[in-house]
Amino acid sequence: MRRIARTAAVAAGAAAAAFAARWLAHAGPPLRRFAVEGDSMLPAFRAGDRVLVWAWAYRSRPPAPGDVVLLRDPERAGRVLIKRVAAPPQGAPPGHVYVVGDNEPMSRDSRQFGVLPLSTVIGRVLWRY
Amino acid sequence: MSITHLPSLASRALRAIDRLAPPAAAHAHCDIPCGIYDPHLMQIAALTVVRMNQLVDALEQDQAKAKNNLTRYIVVKEEHAELVKREARIIFGDYFKPEHVEKHKDLPDLFWNILKLAGKNKQELNGQAAQELLAATQRFAEIFWDTKGVATKRQPSNQAVGGELVVPA
Repeated sequence: MRRIARTAAVAAGAAAAAFAARWLAHAGPPLRRFAVEGDSMLPAFRAGDRVLVWAWAYRSRPPAPGDVVLLRDPERAGRVLIKRVAAPPQGAPPGHVYVVGDNEPMSRDSRQFGVLPLSTVIGRVLWRY
Repeated sequence: MSITHLPSLASRALRAIDRLAPPAAAHAHCDIPCGIYDPHLMQIAALTVVRMNQLVDALEQDQAKAKNNLTRYIVVKEEHAELVKREARIIFGDYFKPEHVEKHKDLPDLFWNILKLAGKNKQELNGQAAQELLAATQRFAEIFWDTKGVATKRQPSNQAVGGELVVPA
């Protein structure tokens, strides 16, 4: 009984340590909350919607078309954008994403600023709340 | 792929956290005026600079009214030369893309020239420089519309100042 408890404690400790290491390695928590502003993701997301973002989404796989992602605005420092990943144009370099707003006429996105390096992607939207 | 809504209990818990520590903003970015660019205002501003030179030339000297008008004309000239710079910067910086410069290799020099000519028109009363500024904005407008695949024509301004404007044909 005591051995099982000790094994469980060691396993829990190891998991916590691994979690903490990943947290440090990514310089941030795995889940982050964001509030949507603006109309470029209508009708899927409206201004005021809250989203929960998985910041470790692209450790093991690259963004896939259809994913809704948060990324750092290439045109304005300190600003975060919410966009949907689309198939990149032919000849786009690997390690980059092409993003488009759902509400295309109202969106400023990769059609204007081109593909973006994966390092600008903050994470994938998991849930709305 | 649709993003599902969290169950209400989890949602309410997260909303409660949001009240304590507001979430960061995620911009569903929309630039007003949302990709609407037009070189028209730039040409009108350049035309205004031309007009102010004409009006200053037409002033009768040594009258209090003339002194007042002279000041007004120069203020308007100053403002509109600045407006040309502003409009040129917005279109050059926000609208034009590398492939446009690839096709129109004179574009960076033209942009630079517009800024220089606008500056010269602020510094001087110079009808010739004003005409050169107008011509540069016309050329800029022709390139702008060409990148959108739109043919252009030059039409009379139909204003007292005379001159032409480049507009979609």
